[in-house]
Amino acid sequence: MISSAHRLNSKLTAALLTGLVFATFVFAIGFGVSEVNHQAVWQCVIASCEKSIYQTILYDIRLPRVLLGFLAGFGLAISGALMQNVTRNPLADPYLFGIVAGAGLGATLASLLPQSIHFVSLPLAAFIGALAAVTLVLAVIANNNWRRVEHLLLAGVAVSFLLSSITSFTLYMGEAFASNRVIFWLMGSLARADTTALLWIFPVILIATIIAFSLARQLDALLLSDESARTLGVKVARLRIIVLVICAASTAVIVSYCGGIGFVGLMIPHIVRSYVGITTGKLLIGSGLLGGCFLVWVDVLARTALDGQEIPIGVITSAMGSVFFLLLMRKM
Amino acid sequence: MASTVLQAKQLSWQVSGKRIIENIDFELNRGETVAIVGPNGAGKTSLLKCLHGEHSDFTGIITLNSKPLSALPHKDIAKQIAVVSQQTNSVFDLTVIDIVRMGLIPHKSFFESDNGNDANRIHSALSKVDLLEKRQQVFNTLSGGEQQRVLIARAVVQAANILIMDEPTNHLDIYYQHQILGLAKKLKITLLLTIHDLNLAAEYCDRIVLMNHGQIVANDTPEQVFTPPTLKSVFNLNCAVDNNPFTNKPRITFSSITDSAARTKNKGDEQ
Repeated sequence: MISSAHRLNSKLTAALLTGLVFATFVFAIGFGVSEVNHQAVWQCVIASCEKSIYQTILYDIRLPRVLLGFLAGFGLAISGALMQNVTRNPLADPYLFGIVAGAGLGATLASLLPQSIHFVSLPLAAFIGALAAVTLVLAVIANNNWRRVEHLLLAGVAVSFLLSSITSFTLYMGEAFASNRVIFWLMGSLARADTTALLWIFPVILIATIIAFSLARQLDALLLSDESARTLGVKVARLRIIVLVICAASTAVIVSYCGGIGFVGLMIPHIVRSYVGITTGKLLIGSGLLGGCFLVWVDVLARTALDGQEIPIGVITSAMGSVFFLLLMRKM
Repeated sequence: MASTVLQAKQLSWQVSGKRIIENIDFELNRGETVAIVGPNGAGKTSLLKCLHGEHSDFTGIITLNSKPLSALPHKDIAKQIAVVSQQTNSVFDLTVIDIVRMGLIPHKSFFESDNGNDANRIHSALSKVDLLEKRQQVFNTLSGGEQQRVLIARAVVQAANILIMDEPTNHLDIYYQHQILGLAKKLKITLLLTIHDLNLAAEYCDRIVLMNHGQIVANDTPEQVFTPPTLKSVFNLNCAVDNNPFTNKPRITFSSITDSAARTKNKGDEQ
């Protein structure tokens, strides 16, 4: 980990991040299959579009996708940052509690069950599955000394494996075409971007972020030790449950629309901690904005790297994340 | 008459069915410095943890300024009792100022940000412990003595009137041991600590609480508690007590285990 000497000052960080977000939105919507170049985009932003089709492409197709990418990256990164701080484990991430495994099982069942009892859409089924997984983890630790962080982590890993094995079995037994659909969904994509997705994801991320900021000081107290936080008047167990629930809700709603996008929640907070700060306020702002921009650009890469074909976004984030970690380990 | 700020009556605490402390009656008066001493496993740290609310499943009564501790909100306890625990390293690279700023937590509500007065409090606390220059340094890179000073500065910002320290001189060299205790005394607040070094306890504390097997064996001034028979009964070692030539406080010199065993045997033979 990089020492505080490398951290940038607050004003410079704020300026860099604001610039990055602005540039991301303006430039990222210039990329796509159809030829709407950056000049045309710029004209649409500052005046009106040259052709009405540009308006449709930019505002109805690309902008929702960029917004979804930003929100998903924002939500995953702050959930990762929160999970790492609240468990004091730099390897914690929002998927730790079986959220993706649960969403995967939900999506699998929704896709493979016979049409006659097919009453929920894939995102809703995934959302229910994700919440069920988190509830299962919470139920397990509630009965078993849930104050201990290690129990929380172990319960999450165990539930993940349990649900993944049920998913694998269901996919193995299921019809090939439907299984393929679920497998592709699990690889992650922003192709489901539409107003409905944004209307679901935005309020959840907004509420989670507001709650997280209101708890920022208490979360800082946890960084040293549970006992230290309690001596500062923090109700540690309650705080941990609240954070777990808001991370679970944010991640579940993102995963249900975007599938499995790994490593964002793990990687982004590490970068932010090194260059921006460790305390919760700075970490959340930095991780949210950087995570949002990161996912938008990964999606641009996913859409444009191969001609006429989209690479699953989760494949790119996982590849980049693992290389990032290997490089990080070389420096340790 | 000194006013009692923290009091325990008939206090017992057990873990997994094992009694750690039993029927303790204890009071801490405003402005005094009290050391809890005793062998390993005597229940010193458990008593401290009951007194500052870390262990809430005790039996008996603890009162803080005449109010039952169990009825007080956590934040109210934190406004009155600051705790410097045994040294802990952070997993993350927290800076000195990050940790000292934590002292504001009990005084802040949701969304409330720091104001100019808070910045002054942090600044003055860091000056008191002489760490102003190192405020941006990473906590984990500091020496043990400096880390203890950071935690004392956090307690100063917390503005509590009782400071509880659990073995604050552990792992510190002799210079830092004196520096930390001197610094804590200079804060002029009520001080309660556990400590292994009896000579330091004699030097810096007004009262000594000697514990053994979860119970209080003696509770008086250092001169009254640190007598060879009392110390022998608890530590099972012979000792000599004279006066420190610099401070005139009791100075304890223990004999080695073999010497103590030989003397006990001779005594038995004589009888």
